[in-house]
Amino acid sequence: MMNLLNYKTIILIVLAAILSLASSCEKDPEPDPQPTTGKLQLNFDFYNEADPMEWGIKKYTNAAGNEYNAYYVKFFISRLTIFKDGEATVLNKFHNSHYVGTDVAPSLQWTIADDIEKGGYDSLSFTFGFNDEDNESFMFVNQPEVNMFWPEELGGGYHAMQLDGKWRLSNDSLTGFNFHLGPGQVYNTSGDITGFIDNSFIVSIPSSDFVINEGNTTSLILRMHVDKWFTSPIEYDHNTYGGSIMEIQEAMEKVVMNGWDVFSIVK
Amino acid sequence: MRINNLVKAILFMSISLLLMSTSCEKDPEPDPIHEPTPYSFVIPKGFPTNFIIPEDNPMTVEGIKLGRYLYYDDRMSGKADEGMPMSCSSCHKQEFAFENGVGKGTGTTGEQTDNVMLPHINLLWNPGAYLWNGSVASIEEDVVGTVYAHNEFASTPEKVVAAISAVDMYPPLFEAAFGTPQITMDRIAKAISQFIRTQISFNSKFDQKQRGEYQYSDAEERGLVLFQTEEGADCFHCHGSVGNPLFTTHLFYNNAKDDNFEGENDRYSVTGNVIDKGAYKATTLRNIELTGPYMHDGRFTTLDQVIDFYSEGLVYSEYAHPLMEKLRPPYGIGAELNPGEKADLKAFLLTLTDYDFIDENNELSNPFK
Ligand code: HEC
Ligand code: HEC
Repeated sequence: MMNLLNYKTIILIVLAAILSLASSCEKDPEPDPQPTTGKLQLNFDFYNEADPMEWGIKKYTNAAGNEYNAYYVKFFISRLTIFKDGEATVLNKFHNSHYVGTDVAPSLQWTIADDIEKGGYDSLSFTFGFNDEDNESFMFVNQPEVNMFWPEELGGGYHAMQLDGKWRLSNDSLTGFNFHLGPGQVYNTSGDITGFIDNSFIVSIPSSDFVINEGNTTSLILRMHVDKWFTSPIEYDHNTYGGSIMEIQEAMEKVVMNGWDVFSIVK
Repeated sequence: MRINNLVKAILFMSISLLLMSTSCEKDPEPDPIHEPTPYSFVIPKGFPTNFIIPEDNPMTVEGIKLGRYLYYDDRMSGKADEGMPMSCSSCHKQEFAFENGVGKGTGTTGEQTDNVMLPHINLLWNPGAYLWNGSVASIEEDVVGTVYAHNEFASTPEKVVAAISAVDMYPPLFEAAFGTPQITMDRIAKAISQFIRTQISFNSKFDQKQRGEYQYSDAEERGLVLFQTEEGADCFHCHGSVGNPLFTTHLFYNNAKDDNFEGENDRYSVTGNVIDKGAYKATTLRNIELTGPYMHDGRFTTLDQVIDFYSEGLVYSEYAHPLMEKLRPPYGIGAELNPGEKADLKAFLLTLTDYDFIDENNELSNPFK
């Protein structure tokens, strides 16, 4: 403890010195005359078939006929990209990602930091989770993000998603599923891990055109259709893989395939 | 590397803030009253940069010093003259990572607390849900709760203030911490809370390994892998991991100990949400070697019993949290670890013990000694 304190003191003094030299009491520069940009805000909501999703013990039936409920979903989106006349702009470059947890109300509204040039945009897309290049272990230190850590032994970085709930087994017991997505593993015949698979995927949202007005914030609803994780092209049956799938690439591959139509934009 | 930069960035930012708030103002009239010294500290590598310090209770060197005395002062119960001296440290003992090492606490009247103790470890990062069921929102609030609780001090703020005011050493300490020598329950709570926020444990073998100062033995390493893999023992989803060094998510889960949860002081008693039935905080596993007996009701006395429970003692109920996935076929009763795996898991858990934290010569120890 002592050592660290001394180390700290030194850094503090040095930084303070640098800063006091560098900082000064400048007058604020003149404000820009007329903004030509606006902001984009995404509001996350959740549906199951035609109705708003009820998290908790409410019973649903998926396409494979499993009776299930879901306690929450937690996920990251990254590399949010907007398109205009075929030209792509990646937003939020400095933070790159946004965490959403249905149990953390503030996470359900995301005003993206970038100032976006006014005008009409054709569509938007994002990466679900983090691609291999971005998915760096220890890039987060705060909760709730750190609770999504993906063990380095299994590929490292962070879960793209934790969708947790229960489904009813044939013996009538109600048991947990952990529909988790993150890096997959390649195993050799003796069961050792020999490589990793990037399970992130890009979600391009159809009919997601929007307009940015100068000095205003454009609000869109980004809706997750929870039932669609289990619907198409694969009818996902929890009984097939047993519910916990972080170490079953075959199952996570199905999650990736089903993810293509899970999101829509509601204007 | 990244984290190092982050810590530096934070330091940098806090200093810039400090300068901004001071350097551009007109010099105020010199204040006749002594101003306490802002307390600064380094966030240990990999630890969260977001933490909770209430706006109306900034940490100061003098406030922490005062809080440390109060934490250890048996006159704090306000009942020393009635033959019932007690302080926070009567139950929250440093040698047990600020727990009591026996289970339930015993208050001034001999009554026991409902649950077993919780330690004081890294509470600076608690997001505002203290106690096993998360019913208390701040440490300050908990200090006052302790004063009234029939199974803790069973006292009143008036008695506490009177007892502390009668001690010569305190008025100058209050003056140094708060500007005037006035002693109030509010100031007592603030000072103790400031001290508790300095109870930071960051020098276990695990931390040393993360900093590259210690290498895990094979057993410790295998235990870590079991701890944080789903096909292993799968503890990390609830209790944190290498990437979440607080070793708690600060969330509440039903960890499948029972099948009936009627009338419990569980998370459900706070939220009224059925999925919280039988749910309690997944407490930090830091210093877990020192903080038995285990679970809110202290049903397990040793870590071996806890590991046996997660391995083959789970009890089915509809309320078990989805993350208790070993309740499911092909398992059904737990992770089914063999004796070697159990020993490895335990070896890893023991690397979370921080002997510097409980060193009786450190700045968290009893200042009266
Ligand atoms: C009689 C024993 C006893 C005394 C004395 C006592 N505590 Fe505690 N403390 C407990 C117990 C038992 C718990 C756990 C209670 C629960 O959650 O049901 C606890 C929990 C806490 C917690 C919450 C920790 C967490 O992780 O949520 C804080 C904070 C705390 N005590 C502060 C204090 C302070 C400050 C004092 C002195 C003013 C004090 N305690 C005195 C027994 C005691
Ligand atoms: C579903 C979430 C969950 C999982 C998975 C889980 N725990 Fe826990 N753990 C909890 C909760 C909640 C408590 C507190 C329960 C109570 O007090 O009734 C707890 C308590 C404990 C305690 C006692 C803490 C104390 O201070 O008394 C230990 C030790 C522990 N767990 C170790 C483990 C280990 C080792 C594993 C993996 C084999 C594990 N846990 C898996 C949620 C979980």
